[in-house]
Formats: sequence, structure tokens, C-alpha cells
Amino acid sequence: MGTVHARSLDPLPMQGPELGVQADDMDLGEPEHEEKQEVLENKDVVVQHVHIDGLGRTKEDILTYEIADVFRAKSLIDVMKKSHEARQRLLRMGIFRHVEVVIDTAEGANALPNGLDVTFEVKELRRMTGSYNTMVGNNEGSMVLGLKLPNVFGRAEKLTFQFSYGTKETSYGLSFFKPQPGHFERNFSINLYKVTGQFPWSSLRETDRGVSTEFSFPIWRTNHTLKWEGVWRELGCLARTASFAVREESGQSLKSSLSHAMVIDTRNSTILPRKGALLKINQELAGYTGGDVSFLREDFEIQLNKTLFWDSVLSTSLWGGMLLPLGDKPSCIADRFYLGGPTSVRGFSMYSIGPQSEGDYLGGEAYWAGGLHLYTPLPFRPGRGGFGDLFRTHFFLNAGNLCNLNYGEGPRAHLSKLAECIRWSYGAGIVLRLGNIARLELNYCIPMGVQSGDRICDGVQFGAGIRFL
Amino acid sequence: MSLAAEAFVSQIAEDQILLSDSASSLAVQTFLRMCGLPVQVSCCANAEYMSPSGKVPFIHVGNQVVSELGPIVQFIKAKGHSLSDGLDDVQRAEMKAYMELVNNMLLTAELYIQWCDDYTATEISRPRYSSPYSWPLNHILAYQKQWEVRRKMNAIGWSGKNLEQVYEDVSQCCQALSQRLGTQPYFFNKQPTELDALVFGHLFTILTTQLTNDELAEKVKSYTNLLSFCHRIEQTYFKEHDRESQSGSSRHSKGSLP
Repeated sequence: MGTVHARSLDPLPMQGPELGVQADDMDLGEPEHEEKQEVLENKDVVVQHVHIDGLGRTKEDILTYEIADVFRAKSLIDVMKKSHEARQRLLRMGIFRHVEVVIDTAEGANALPNGLDVTFEVKELRRMTGSYNTMVGNNEGSMVLGLKLPNVFGRAEKLTFQFSYGTKETSYGLSFFKPQPGHFERNFSINLYKVTGQFPWSSLRETDRGVSTEFSFPIWRTNHTLKWEGVWRELGCLARTASFAVREESGQSLKSSLSHAMVIDTRNSTILPRKGALLKINQELAGYTGGDVSFLREDFEIQLNKTLFWDSVLSTSLWGGMLLPLGDKPSCIADRFYLGGPTSVRGFSMYSIGPQSEGDYLGGEAYWAGGLHLYTPLPFRPGRGGFGDLFRTHFFLNAGNLCNLNYGEGPRAHLSKLAECIRWSYGAGIVLRLGNIARLELNYCIPMGVQSGDRICDGVQFGAGIRFL
Repeated sequence: MSLAAEAFVSQIAEDQILLSDSASSLAVQTFLRMCGLPVQVSCCANAEYMSPSGKVPFIHVGNQVVSELGPIVQFIKAKGHSLSDGLDDVQRAEMKAYMELVNNMLLTAELYIQWCDDYTATEISRPRYSSPYSWPLNHILAYQKQWEVRRKMNAIGWSGKNLEQVYEDVSQCCQALSQRLGTQPYFFNKQPTELDALVFGHLFTILTTQLTNDELAEKVKSYTNLLSFCHRIEQTYFKEHDRESQSGSSRHSKGSLP
């Protein structure tokens, strides 16, 4: 009998007798075979056995959940569809290098005439992978050592370690991730880290040593994350010329906070989506589980995308946030919001909007920012179908405001404070998409509504990052 | 150039400051009062981190920040006020030598007693130093400071000494100061200089600070001319200028001299 190899099916069409399998993969033998295959197409089948070959340290109990669905297939197309889905589920666990699916007729003593055997041939990732890089930049050189241990105990746990030793700073991160068997979207992770950051716009240097645990779980169509984080923060001045307001923030503090984040993401892609929407709401409460700082912080992010005529996309986004210090201590510079720069309100220098003292930006306790973009393919579409598809031209309008609120007054006063002195800008530029994670932008910006104290970057501005307004 | 009213910042949080920092802070305050300049003292728990050199006290004038007595004296001199103008070169060299003596002996002894003597460190220094922070940061910072001071003691060779030897060193330092002072009102006859401010800062703080035992204060008290020197400066510059209870600065024991 002929065998049908169902290999990487991308994408799998859903309609009728047209099989997703390439025509040349099928074993076209004599006409009788063809007839048999045609008959098999819509005939009811029963999946009798599902095997997974090639397991080493992976425990089988977690895999049974992923492949359980295959047993429920009723027709050949169904089997192929469900095996494809099962293959995707096995791959997303991050423990296999590749997964191949082989569908064969059932063999053995109790084989039914319409029985099928499905075999997943897997190759596990190596127990430990390491990487070693040297990085040079920003007047500093460093060596970065990375270690990754996928599937440590056999149930898709992952342990990663990264260590960076530089001429100026040292940082490290250790992270352990464990999904719930059967429900990969429910997982928890523990992180231990030390990071250092330099913020020249505030003349501030920050070193954070912390530990955090987080739980993620989906509820209906939303994804929730609960996190506890304890951080030892050390703030210092970056230069002798730092303003006294920043100098006063120097010192040590301990932050212990609980946070909750909810994400609904129906976009088709994270970078340059063509349709869908994103809603992210995040709140953080610090101070009730120990520590020196005490605040309640809320922020949200909304993005809507719609494809218009001629391959162009209209995208609007709105960001906002508020920080409410609890108790009598004022808020810390490291907790406040910052606005401005090539990734938020374009046309202004990085984080250079809002309250400042002698040229150092102190951040604000409340902000909002909005953007309206029109993305179109490059004019005359050079490199179409290949490299040219990574580029887009965009026309944008950004606006935003950052200020400190006087919490004694009512919401009307807050709204009017946020609505006065709005900074906005407009312009056009080119966007380059880097994989599915980042994008580069080169824009010509015209900032407007500039208040005294803001630093602008009118004209050409370059930006690189993950999250853009 | 004249000096506008200045803010003078130090680590005094009343219940946080330690002996050595209190002494340095008092020395700077005394110096500024001797120059006749307005002084305002403010206390922050993070003054040590705010300071550009990492040491308290520091002064904040206009938008300039200067820390430690030496640079502060230079800074004030650049603004046109100086106490040591009347000295000739020989005397100035002598003054510098004595100031070095105080810094190398008295200040180091104070640090040793605070951090290298286990009993004092456990009972007084660590609890006070870590009082503004919450658990576990308070323990981390206190031990970190202790290790840092002990490393410094190692580096200058004081780790081999025991407490008795340190008291002996303090006594010898006081003897040298006492001999130099003699019967004069100030170290360089009639006018006070920064050396007077420095010596007053340290001796007054030692005399009025409650430690685990009174040996250090006793060593100083045995030199009567130093005792009357401290009284005199206290009367002249602190009681006179403000009538409130501010006897110079705050320390973690009682205010007046015995």
C-alpha cells in the first residue's frame, strides 16, 4: 500500500479534496493506486497508534497532552490537520530541534482496515548550549557568556544564564522557566538579575539587583501575568555636573512590589501589523510586601490597525500612565514615567520632555501619548517580493504630555493639567523591520508645542527599538 | 565674591550618624562659623551617596557641591574668606602637619573603634548605620560598610592593633596637640584657624558621645588645656550665635561638656 508522508505543511488549506500535500510527495503508482488514494481521501479513518520516536530525557507525560487531539481525527484530512497542529504544539515547547510527522496505515495484530498510525520523529535539543561574545561600544568593552539548558528535568523546564563582564560594569541574569504539563500557556518563572543602566538625559546611573517570580496564565482570550519583584536599587550621579535634584535621589533603596498585567493581542504580527488590536493594562503596587518605596502605578497601551486601500495600513496607538505615591515620601526618579524620543513622541530628544532641573530630566508622575500612522509600501515598490518588503514608508502624527499631578485636586483638574501644554509632532520616514522583534526608523520630524525645558531633535531622527508609539 | 546663605548637608539623622561623621561634620560647621558665614544644617539619610566624593559632610552653595574639610577650606578661600591668611609659610606648614596628624590618628582611631571593635560595631554602629533602611537591605549595607572599613584598616596596617593600642595612640595624639596648644587660646595664638576647627570637631564629639565605654573620653579629659579649649570654642561660636539648644550639632548623646 502506498504511504503518505505528511511533512511540514505550511499552510494547510481547509477546503475539500485538494490536499495540502505536494503533488510530487504522493506515491503515484499505477492507476489502481490512484483510485485507492482518491477513495481514502474522504473515507473515515481511525487513528490507532500515535508514536513519538527519538525521546531522550523528555518525559512522556507532558507530550501526551499535546498529541491527544490526533486521536480524535475522523478523516484523512483531519488526521493531517491535527498532526500538523500537534507538531506546532510540540515545537512551541522549545525542547525539540525539529519534529517530523509520518502517517502510515496501521500495522500489527489488531490493525483495522481503515486504521492509521501516526509517528512523530523528534530530535531533542542538546542538554546545554553556550555562547560567548565580546561587545564593544559606548566607551566600554565587555565579554558576554550565555548558557542555556532547555528541558532540564524533562518537562520543558528551561534554565538560562547570562553573564556580562565589562570594563565598567558587570551584570548577570539567571532565569528558570517551568510550564504546567498540558497547559503550556500556564507557566511560572523565577529570575535573578543584576543590571546596570546609564541614563544621560537625567545624569543618572542605576544599578538594580533583584529577584522576581511571575505566573502567567490565559483566561478566555486574555493573557495575565502576576509578578512579585524585589529589587535593591542603587542610584548615583553620572557626572559631577548633575543637578542637585538628581543628586538628592542618589542612594540605596529597596523596592518590593506586586504587579499584574493583562494583554489581549489580536494583531497578526508584533512589528508592523496589518490588522488587529492590542490592549495592555499593567498595574504595580509597591510597599505592602516590604521595602522602602510605596506607590501604586498604572499604565496602559492600546493599538489599533486597519488595512486600507492599496496595501497601506492605518495604525493608531495610545499610551498612558499614572504613578501615585502612597505614604508621605515623594516618588523616586527611577519609578516615574519618561516621554520623548524616537520611540515615543518623535521630534524630541530621548526622554527629554517634561519636568527638568538644570538640564536633567526628572520624569513625571502622569503622562499620555498618542500616535497616528499611515504605513505604505515604498514608492515604486523596489525589491518587491524580497528585501523591499521589509521596508515601509510612514507618515505620522504624535502627541503627548508628561507632568506631575497634584493629587489633592479632583479628576477635572488632572485632566485639564494633562491637556494643557501638549507637545506634538508630525513627519514622515522609512521603517525597516528586523525579524519579528525590532524595527529601525529614519524620520524627518517637525516638533510643535515645544515647552521651555524640552529638548528637540527636529529634522532627521534615527530610532531603533522594540516598542514604538 | 560673597557667599549667599548656604545649605550645609550632612548625614545627621540624629539617630543615624556615627562618631566619625559627626566629628567631621562639626569641624566643618565650626570652620564656617569662625569665618562668620551663615550656615544651615540639613539631614538626609543618603548624604553619603549624595556627596561627590562619598564622604560627609558636604556643602551646597548655589549650584556647587564641595565635600570634606580640605576642599571646603579651599573653596571658601576662593570666595574670599580665609582664617589662615595671617600665618607665614612655616606656620602654615606646621598647621598642615597637625591637621594630618588629627586625620591620621584621631579619625582613624574613631573609625577603628566604631567598626573594628566587635562589641561597638554590634551594639552601636551597625544598628545606627542601617536604621533608615528596611530588611534585608539594612543588614547588607551595614556589613558592607564594616567590611569596607576593615579593608581600609588592613591597608594602613591598623588591623593588627588592639583596642588598648588604639587608645594609647589617641592619648599620644592628644599629648602632641596639648603641647602645641600650651596656654594659648588657639593653636596659632590669638586667631582661630582651620586646625582649631578640626581639633574642636573631633575632641568635642569624643567628649560628648556615649560609646560602649568611656575610655576614649577619659583619654581626652586628662589634658586639661584641651578641655578648656573645647569649652572656649563652644562658648564663643555656638552658644553665642544661637540661643536655642543647638550646641553645634546633634550627636547621639547629650549636648554639653562635662
